[in-house]
Amino acid sequence: MNDEIFLNEQIKVVVAFGDGLNPCRPLRFRRTNGREIDITEIGLRHPNMQGKRMVHIFDVTDGSADYRIELDAERLSWRLTREADHGI
Amino acid sequence: MEYNSEKSLIMHVDLNSAFATIEQQSRPMLRGRPVAVINRRTENTSIVTASYEAKAKGVKVGMKFIEASRLVPELVAVESDPAKYRYVYRKLMAILNSYSPNVVMKSIDEGIIDFHGVPLKRSLVEIGHEIKKRLQDEIGSAMRCNVGIGPNRFLAKTAAGLHKPDGLDVINATNLRLVYKTMKLTDLTGIASHLERRLNAVNIFTPIQFLDTDVISLQKVVFKSIVGRQWYERLRGYEVDDWSSETKTIGRQYVLENRNLKRSEIAARLHYLCESVGSRLRLQHKVARGVYIHIRTIDRKYWHACQICQMSFYSDKTINTLAQQLFLKAPERIQEIGIRCYQISDNNDPQASLFCDEIVHEQQLVSAIDVINQRFGDRTVHSANTLKTSEFIKTKISFGSTRYL
Repeated sequence: MNDEIFLNEQIKVVVAFGDGLNPCRPLRFRRTNGREIDITEIGLRHPNMQGKRMVHIFDVTDGSADYRIELDAERLSWRLTREADHGI
Repeated sequence: MEYNSEKSLIMHVDLNSAFATIEQQSRPMLRGRPVAVINRRTENTSIVTASYEAKAKGVKVGMKFIEASRLVPELVAVESDPAKYRYVYRKLMAILNSYSPNVVMKSIDEGIIDFHGVPLKRSLVEIGHEIKKRLQDEIGSAMRCNVGIGPNRFLAKTAAGLHKPDGLDVINATNLRLVYKTMKLTDLTGIASHLERRLNAVNIFTPIQFLDTDVISLQKVVFKSIVGRQWYERLRGYEVDDWSSETKTIGRQYVLENRNLKRSEIAARLHYLCESVGSRLRLQHKVARGVYIHIRTIDRKYWHACQICQMSFYSDKTINTLAQQLFLKAPERIQEIGIRCYQISDNNDPQASLFCDEIVHEQQLVSAIDVINQRFGDRTVHSANTLKTSEFIKTKISFGSTRYL
């Protein structure tokens, strides 16, 4: 079974906005415990409507674990919702 | 009848091990590792999709996770994520729609492009390679798909299955026999073990023998219906599958999370399923006249009951009332429960009767609840009876239908 951890943690994120197919690219985030994580790859970004509220879900990695961070497009807030190292 | 020598203008695009590939795309740490997508985080659950790495080690779709993990101890199980798969489905559909107005999505992971009537400046092989590249550019670098090109849907799908993963093949009148020579009867889409037995009974053991059987024998002896002629034409590359089916039933089923649930707890889960079915019914602007429930017991016995009404309905309350009446007669030791609405027709919104105030009030209430749920998210307002059931029953995606995507 996967050792995924479900979280609901407010985070601070450094994001680059550009053009192309993925105009919003999170680069680094800081967790509440002060740990900073450098994002090395965005696996997939998919939007998820929660009623009429749009939440952009980014599945990302720092090369040692996979994370899910979510941008609430209405409140402009970021949350870390999942973490998994898949037993590596 | 000769083989269809028309130019191959049907393209079949099929995502490789779709859900597992999407998970490997979104979670880079899983790439190159055996992955199984499951619907529930329990060991007794069945595997919905396995990655190619897992398949290479003997993991099969439908296998219990506990068996698979004994076979491949490093197997990583990932719970399915419908929102993500829906997103990839929409991206795939957008890519396919950019090539032709005639696109049919056959399931969440496969679509057909019909190029008839589309002015073509490039070959379909070139377009197939471009679709593969666009899939990687627009969704992610780990995404792969099979592309098959043929004169009809059957041969295009067959071509898409020849070289997995990431293949691109063309079948036409010139290489059709050669391809069939490399295949078994059950490799043909639509031929499962029971049809194989029927064909074996008349000395047809290979696709080539199937191809060489005359139409009369297929129609009068093997299939004893028009299906025989359809197979005769299908195998030769003529289109017989260009049709779509209407919605006849709308339903949901659920395997209980615990075998020791009380009757009232099972009734609450049935109520949840009724709300889910009602929501699907209204989403498609349909009404139903009948409710059918089925039960599978722990001893693998099947029980069912149905009830039909004079007036059509679409509210959760009516569906649940009818279902709960039927459930009173259901046997004990339940393992799986399901509900379906049948006698489906379009909701033509007839003028409300002056003498049916209750029905009018119910319709207004249902509409108001649907508006709230659309605005604030699914199940913002629902029956108190189903308050805790959503912890157990989660929305899942079926492979075969694109109706609710």
